[in-house]
Amino acid sequence: MGECPVRNVERLCLAHFWVAFAAFLVAALLGTWQMWVRSPLGANIGTPSQYFLSVTAHGVAMAYVLTTFFIMGFGYFVAVTALARPLPGKAWAWGGFWLAITGVALALWAILTGKASVLFTFYPPLTGSAFFYIGLVLVVIGSWIWCVLMLVAMGAWKRENPGRPIPLAMFGTCANAVMWLWTTVGVAVELLFQVIPAALGLVQTIDVGLARTLFSWTLHAIVYFWLIPAYIAFYTMVPRAAGGRLYSDTMGRLTFILFLIYSLPVGMHHLLMDPEHGNGTKFIQVLLTAFVSVPTLLTIFTITASLEIAGRLRGGRGVFGWIASLPWERPMVLATGLGFIMLGFGGFGGLINMGYGMNAMVHNTSWVTAHFHLIFGGSVVIMYFAIAYEVWPRLTGREYPSLTPLRLQLWLWFIGMMVMTVPWHWLGLQGQWRRVANFNYADPIIAPWGPWVVVSLAGGVILLVSALLFVGNLLSLHRSTAMVVARPLYALAVHPPRRVPAALNGFGLWNVLVLILMLVAYGWPLAQFAVEPSPTAIVHRVE
Amino acid sequence: MTDPRLSDPHVLDQPWRVWASVGVLGILLFGVLLGVLIIPVVQGRSAGIDAFTAICRALGILPGSPAQPQPASVSPPTPVSQVIWTPDVLQILARGNPERGRAKVVEVCVACHGEQGISVSPDYPNLNGQSGAAIYKQLHDYRTGSRVNQLMTDLAKALEEPMIADVAAYYAGQPKRNPNPATLGELPASIVRLVELGDPSRNIPPCAACHRPGSGGPIEAPILSEQGREYLAQQLRMYASGERRNDVYARMRVIAARLTPAEIDGLSRYYNAGFR
Repeated sequence: MGECPVRNVERLCLAHFWVAFAAFLVAALLGTWQMWVRSPLGANIGTPSQYFLSVTAHGVAMAYVLTTFFIMGFGYFVAVTALARPLPGKAWAWGGFWLAITGVALALWAILTGKASVLFTFYPPLTGSAFFYIGLVLVVIGSWIWCVLMLVAMGAWKRENPGRPIPLAMFGTCANAVMWLWTTVGVAVELLFQVIPAALGLVQTIDVGLARTLFSWTLHAIVYFWLIPAYIAFYTMVPRAAGGRLYSDTMGRLTFILFLIYSLPVGMHHLLMDPEHGNGTKFIQVLLTAFVSVPTLLTIFTITASLEIAGRLRGGRGVFGWIASLPWERPMVLATGLGFIMLGFGGFGGLINMGYGMNAMVHNTSWVTAHFHLIFGGSVVIMYFAIAYEVWPRLTGREYPSLTPLRLQLWLWFIGMMVMTVPWHWLGLQGQWRRVANFNYADPIIAPWGPWVVVSLAGGVILLVSALLFVGNLLSLHRSTAMVVARPLYALAVHPPRRVPAALNGFGLWNVLVLILMLVAYGWPLAQFAVEPSPTAIVHRVE
Repeated sequence: MTDPRLSDPHVLDQPWRVWASVGVLGILLFGVLLGVLIIPVVQGRSAGIDAFTAICRALGILPGSPAQPQPASVSPPTPVSQVIWTPDVLQILARGNPERGRAKVVEVCVACHGEQGISVSPDYPNLNGQSGAAIYKQLHDYRTGSRVNQLMTDLAKALEEPMIADVAAYYAGQPKRNPNPATLGELPASIVRLVELGDPSRNIPPCAACHRPGSGGPIEAPILSEQGREYLAQQLRMYASGERRNDVYARMRVIAARLTPAEIDGLSRYYNAGFR
C-alpha cells in the first residue's frame, strides 16, 4: 500500500486535533467537578443551575466538539496518507473548520452565560438561546463540508486507479462520511423546523414526540460516527503496530458497511419508554438493533486473529502464549487491549439496554450514564488517544523521547474509567436516577449509595490526571528534539485485495438499502405526526 | 481466476448485489411480520383483543398495548384552575396591548396596585415586572372562582379575556426597582440554601427551580423578586392552611405546609430584598 508523507495538511490536521483536545480537557475538568458535587464529599457545593450549565458544557464539548473535530482532522490525515495524493479542496476544509469554530464559539457563549442549560441532547420543550442551536448547526454544516471532501477525494482516487480497491482506511472514513450525512438529517430537521423557531419565539408550542423521534434518528448513528475512527485504527493500524498483518480486508469492508446500514434505522430503541410509538414499530427497530452487534463481533474476531498472527510471528506458542508475546509496550497495541476490555463490559451493558423489559428498569438511572461513559469515553476515546499518539510524530516530524508516559496515560485512563463506571452501573441498579444535580445522603435509602459515589469520584479524578497527562504528552512532543524515522502506518492484509466487487468498493447499493430501511423504520412513525397531530407542549424557556 | 471476466468488478458484484439485498430486506420483512403482525395478534388473542385492533395498536394508530386491555379512565378530573395553556391562550397573551392595558390600569387597578405596579398597601402584591402569564393566570382564576378575594373576584369578572392580557402586558413591562445589595449579608445561610437547593430530606424542592426567571418551571410561576414581604408570607400561610388552592398539582400547598414560620418569614425577606 503506497504511502506518502503528510503533504501540506499538517496545520489543517493539527488545528482540528488541538481544538478537539482543548475541548476534551475543559470537559474533563467539568466532569470531575460534577462527580464531586454529586458525591457526599461535595454536597451543598454549587447550585443546580451551575450543575446543569456544567453538564451542558461537558456534553457539548465531549460529544460534539471533541468528536467532530477529531474525526474531521483524522479524515483529512487518512485522505492524504492512505490515498497518497494531495487533499482536494483544502481551502474548503479550512472554511469548514472556521465555520465550525464560529459555531462552537456561539454555542459556548450561550452555555456559559446560562442561556442554554438544556443538556447536549436538548430535551424540548426546554428551550435555550437560539445562538446555542444555531452554533451547533454551524458545526454540523462544517462537518458536511468534510463529508463532501472525503467523497470527492475518494472519487478522484477511483478515477485515477480504475478497478483497484480503495485502501481500507479511506473506505472506512468514507463509510463514516456517508453515514454522517444520513445521520444529521434527523437533528437538522428537529433544530431548523422545531427548536430554533421556538427559541426565536416564532412559535409558542413544540411537538415533543416528533422532536424526540427526529432526534432518535440521529441519536444512535452519531455514536457510530464517533466509534468508526476507533474501528479504522483497529483494522488498519493495530495489526501493523503489533508487527503482523490484517487477517481479512473483506471483514473490514463488511464491518463499515454494516455500520452504515444498521446504525440508522435503530434509533427508536432510545424511545422504548416513549408513548408516541406503537410496540410494533419499536420491535422492528430493536430487531435491527440486534444486527448492530454483528460488525462489532466481526471486528473482535478479525482483530484478535490479526493479533494472533502478530503474536505467533513474534514467537508466541500455545493457545494463549501469543498474547504474552505481543508488543504491549507500544501504545497502539496497549490501547487496543484495554479498549477491548472496556468494549466487552460496555457491550454487555448495551445488550441489557436493548431489551425492552430490562431497559424499563434501568432507563432513567445512572446505569445508562455509566454505559455511555464506558463505551464512548472508554473504548472509543482510548483509541482516539492511540491514534493521536500514532499520527502526532507524522504531523510534527518529531519523536517521543520516551513511550513510558504514553503507556502510563493509557493505563490511567483505563483504570480511571473502570473505577468510575463499574460502581456507577451498580448505583444505577440500586435505582440512582440520572440528570439530577444532587442527592440527599441523609435519606436512609440514599445513604448507602454514598461510598460507591465516592469510589466513582476517585475514578473521575484518575481520569482527570490522565487527561492532563495526555495533553502534556502531546505538548512535550512539539518540544522534542528527536526526529521521526519514516515507518509505515497502515497494515497489509494477509491476502491484500487486488480487486473487490463494486459493492465493497463504494456505497451506491448500500445507500439504496439504507433508504429502504429508513422508509420502513421511520416512515410511518414520522408520518403519523402529520396524519394525526399530537398535543403539543408549551415551550419552556431557560434563558 | 484465469477467466478475464472475473476481474471485472461488475461481474464480481452481481451476487453481492443480489444477496446483500435479499439478506437486508429479508431481515426487515422478518421484523415487520413478527413485530406488526404475528406478535400483536398472538398477544391480543390472549388479552381478548381482536386482531385488527391489536395490529393498529402495534402500529401506534390506536392507543394502548396489543398485550393488555386499555384501562378506561374512571375518575373525572377536578381541576383547581380553569386556565389551560393552549396555543390560543398563548396567542391572546402574546397579543396583549400595554397601551390599552394602561388605560384600564389607570381606571381601575391603580387604586391598590399603583400605576407603576408598586402597591399602596403591604397586603397587596407588587405587579411591576411580573410575568404576564402569572398575572393572566391569577386574574383568570379570580374570574372562575378558583382563587377567591372579595375585591379581586368582582373586578376580574368585569374584565374580558383580551383585556386581562392587556393589563398583564402593561404591568409586565413596568420596570423593577433596583435591588438593595446592602441587605445581602443579612440573610441566614439556611434560607439561601432553601432557595437554591431546597431541603430534600423534607421533600422541599428549591424555590429557584421555578421562581427564577428562565428556570424552566411552569409558565405561570410568578417572579418573586421585590415582592412585598407581608404579602408573600400571607400567601405562603394561606397555601399551608389550604385556604388558597389554585396551585396546579397542589405544588405550593405541599411545599408551604412543610415550611416553618421562621422559614416563611426568611423566604419572604429574601425575595423582598430583591434576590432572584
